[in-house]
Amino acid sequence: MNYERRELMDRLASEYALGTLRGPALRRFRRLLASSDLARDAVRTWERRLATLAVSVPAEPPSPRVWRGIEARIAPQVRRKSLWQWLKPVLGVACGVILGVAVTLGLVRGMPEVFTTLDAGAEREQALPQSYVGLLLDAESRPTVLASSTRHGKRVTLKILRPIDVPAGKVLQLWALPQDANGQPLAPIPLGVVPAQGRGGFDMPDTAERLLSNVPRLGITVQDAPASPGDTPGDFLLQGHCAKLW
Amino acid sequence: MSASTDSTVLADQLARVALGDRAALRRVYEMSSAHLFGVALRILNRRDLAEDVLQDAFVSVWHRAGDYRAVAGQPMTWLISIVRNKALDVVRSASHRYETALPEDDEGRVLDIEDDRPDPLGLLGEAVEALAIRSCMDRLEASHRQSLALAYYHGLSHSEVAERMAAPLGSVKAWVRRGLERLKRCLEAQG
Repeated sequence: MNYERRELMDRLASEYALGTLRGPALRRFRRLLASSDLARDAVRTWERRLATLAVSVPAEPPSPRVWRGIEARIAPQVRRKSLWQWLKPVLGVACGVILGVAVTLGLVRGMPEVFTTLDAGAEREQALPQSYVGLLLDAESRPTVLASSTRHGKRVTLKILRPIDVPAGKVLQLWALPQDANGQPLAPIPLGVVPAQGRGGFDMPDTAERLLSNVPRLGITVQDAPASPGDTPGDFLLQGHCAKLW
Repeated sequence: MSASTDSTVLADQLARVALGDRAALRRVYEMSSAHLFGVALRILNRRDLAEDVLQDAFVSVWHRAGDYRAVAGQPMTWLISIVRNKALDVVRSASHRYETALPEDDEGRVLDIEDDRPDPLGLLGEAVEALAIRSCMDRLEASHRQSLALAYYHGLSHSEVAERMAAPLGSVKAWVRRGLERLKRCLEAQG
């Protein structure tokens, strides 16, 4: 590398470390950083020089919530466990979409693999794409089925959290339980068939946004055959909230 | 405790963090968070944003502590760089600009809001004093020192510095560059 280029590299590194490099120049320099040890070394040297200037910045204790947030983010396993312990007693009497959101969000964060089949592209960059997520509980309030669909997608992805006992020759039918604007129940809509264990999925006749935007709850019944539109569900084996996550 | 002892302890704790020791991360946090929060707060001028940045920074430290050993230098330097870079990312994002847009009165005139951050030139003065490079840095013109201080402590871009100082953009770019060159020379001369 000739002297001029080295000079230029050093100057760009200094402005990058200072923070004054912006726009297209910043993007170009970031690409260079990804591939050049020399550029990275130059930035480190400048960061070291500039960090000395921070010596005079008055210290300021941050609020205790910062550490709590860090702890929660670095210890997902611990948090998941305590969430489960917390879930059991609460969910039995739970109602309201807010709780549904909190619960499903916690679960979904803990199980990102459920979303691996979702739309790629721009949505991949976000932790979680905009989705409808339903968590269905059994009679003892144990989370049993996780159903999800991207907001504008037709595909429903299913994860069976606990195997379901299905009599031979019967099927598990997933229903949307919509409400009108006043909170009055509307006729249930059959969505598709759920496997007894493992994973599964099916395509809905329309997008989640069209079918599920007024659906606060989902239910699963045991049927002789898949239900058709207009059918009435029998007793629900599993029920739970359906939440919008965005 | 002397600065060098602090550094040794911090470096040891970071090595433990790299092995997945949460208690070590807590010690790193206790030793450095107030200073790092101060750095973020100067740049962002909002406690909530500075707290988010500090939280993100420590989550990064948790995942990247292994990188630290590969980097020669003081652990505090490494931590400050992580925090500053994250704070600068926030400053550069459009949403922050929108949220912190100056309030306007009914006729659309921008109302002046008070910036209660300490004067950045004063901070630079204290820093160069502490680093024993004051006489060397004093050879720099005041406007050059001022533009370097605004860019470093408040995270301003060239054009924001130019606006603040009511100076042409081209001049400010040259001033900042000379400020950086002078800092480099002074630190090297001082050893």
